[in-house]
Amino acid sequence: MEASNRVAIVGYAQSPVTRHADQTLGGLTVETARRAIADAGLTVAQVDGFVTASLFPSAGAHAAEDGVSLVSANWLAERLGVNANYAAGFQGFGQIPGAVSMAVNAVVSGAADYVLVHRALHNPQGSYHQNPMEEAHGSQQWTVPQGYFGPLAMIALAYNEYLQRFGATREAMAAVVSEARKNGARIPWSYWFEKPLEAADYLAAPMINDPICRFDCDIPVDGVAAFVFTTAERARELPHRPVYVAGYATGAPVKRRLPLHWPLDDIMEVGAETSRRLWERSGVRPAEVDLPQVYDGFSPFVYFWMESLGLCPIGEAHRLVLEGGIDSDCPGALPVLSGGGALGNGRMHGVPQMLECYLQLSGRAGERQRPNPSIGVACHSSPHFGGAVVYSAQVF
Amino acid sequence: MIAGTRPLPIPDKRSAPFWEAAAEHVLAVARCSHCGAFSHPPDIVCSHCGSADPAFVFTPVDGAGTIRSWTVMRQSFLPGFDVPFVLVDVELEAQEDLRLIGRLVDGPDAVLQVGAAVSLVFEDVAPGVSVPAFALTNS
Repeated sequence: MEASNRVAIVGYAQSPVTRHADQTLGGLTVETARRAIADAGLTVAQVDGFVTASLFPSAGAHAAEDGVSLVSANWLAERLGVNANYAAGFQGFGQIPGAVSMAVNAVVSGAADYVLVHRALHNPQGSYHQNPMEEAHGSQQWTVPQGYFGPLAMIALAYNEYLQRFGATREAMAAVVSEARKNGARIPWSYWFEKPLEAADYLAAPMINDPICRFDCDIPVDGVAAFVFTTAERARELPHRPVYVAGYATGAPVKRRLPLHWPLDDIMEVGAETSRRLWERSGVRPAEVDLPQVYDGFSPFVYFWMESLGLCPIGEAHRLVLEGGIDSDCPGALPVLSGGGALGNGRMHGVPQMLECYLQLSGRAGERQRPNPSIGVACHSSPHFGGAVVYSAQVF
Repeated sequence: MIAGTRPLPIPDKRSAPFWEAAAEHVLAVARCSHCGAFSHPPDIVCSHCGSADPAFVFTPVDGAGTIRSWTVMRQSFLPGFDVPFVLVDVELEAQEDLRLIGRLVDGPDAVLQVGAAVSLVFEDVAPGVSVPAFALTNS
């Protein structure tokens, strides 16, 4: 696509990921944004574009308040005291790829010179998804009266289809989750820093909505990440090695269904279209990706993304995992969770995937640095509802 | 179980005929006046022919179908449901890929498999309010 490799990430900041931050989410966001801008070698006054996807993804009855449980782009620009040329929010699913696509387009078009993309996520007090509703209005009237509610039941139906169809085992998923937690345990800002999870502990966990147990779900957290985007030309004048956006794909057409009904065939058929767009627009083939980062807010998404992206044949991801095929410490394996993902960091949505691509491709991953990665893919949400971004260490 | 009563469906202008039929233990699915295809739930635009004025007619169907997937709900985020209970994702015989999610009344120990036949039943949850559910056909 026209915008390929013309826009780069030039700096970042990631807050600590905690169960409940001492600070209000908005305050943490302002601080993180200032750190990201400084990291890029810029001043706040130079940043003239702000993009986010501010969704507060709780099914519970919590109030959604700007600056408290979510942080919009306009809220942040105002609190930073910036008269922004461009401030906008992405409304769809696949919030991180969606926001990145808007930032890329704002920079390429000249709507803004330096765009800050942030994602602020909040864990409210009390149960994250519990909802005391007595009446089911609107679209919820079709599923709530039957007790079908919340994202765990949603992913349980799709994952059970996968288990039944391909004969996958819990042992395979134990390997997925322990891989995410192994990598997350090495990341100082992660909620799970120095807290890996053994496969046996995964296997011992009781079911919540079969076949989903607690460890298949990322843990709700307070956390903020921010990234600065600008043109490839301006990036060359800044302190860190740029990481270029080669392409993105979001928003493939989904079948209209009952609320939260994501059958496996929908995920895989539309996921194939998401991937086709991604490879076509980025000019990259799956075999060229040496840093795939699949989304894992629920563990089955790891299989769905690996197969949708064409990293392995349909129905084979669970076998590959059991053979050590995603072990980030094994040369030749696919390091799909090397950044820890959401399971290994906390519910930061697609941030861990994006951050791992940035850190590794810019050579800033420190002790975790992998040898000369060149192409990364950062996925978010489901292959059918969400999206992905291809990042490159070089302009090509 | 979270204390309280099960949430009740609140019919609106577009859904009232569905719940009126359900109260009589009849599954009436929205059928597009232009192309004749069923949609559940009824959308603003017909999913099949794209009509922006589908003028859905709620048409009784048998409600028999096959299980495509299931989950055992051992924890519910909603009030009023005794756990565990089973939810089934059912493809109705009335039309290819027409899907309904409902409780399976056979209980949490029922042995299930993809493709198993189910029949429609109704749960009476409040006076004048019934909700579609399923039962294994051979049980």
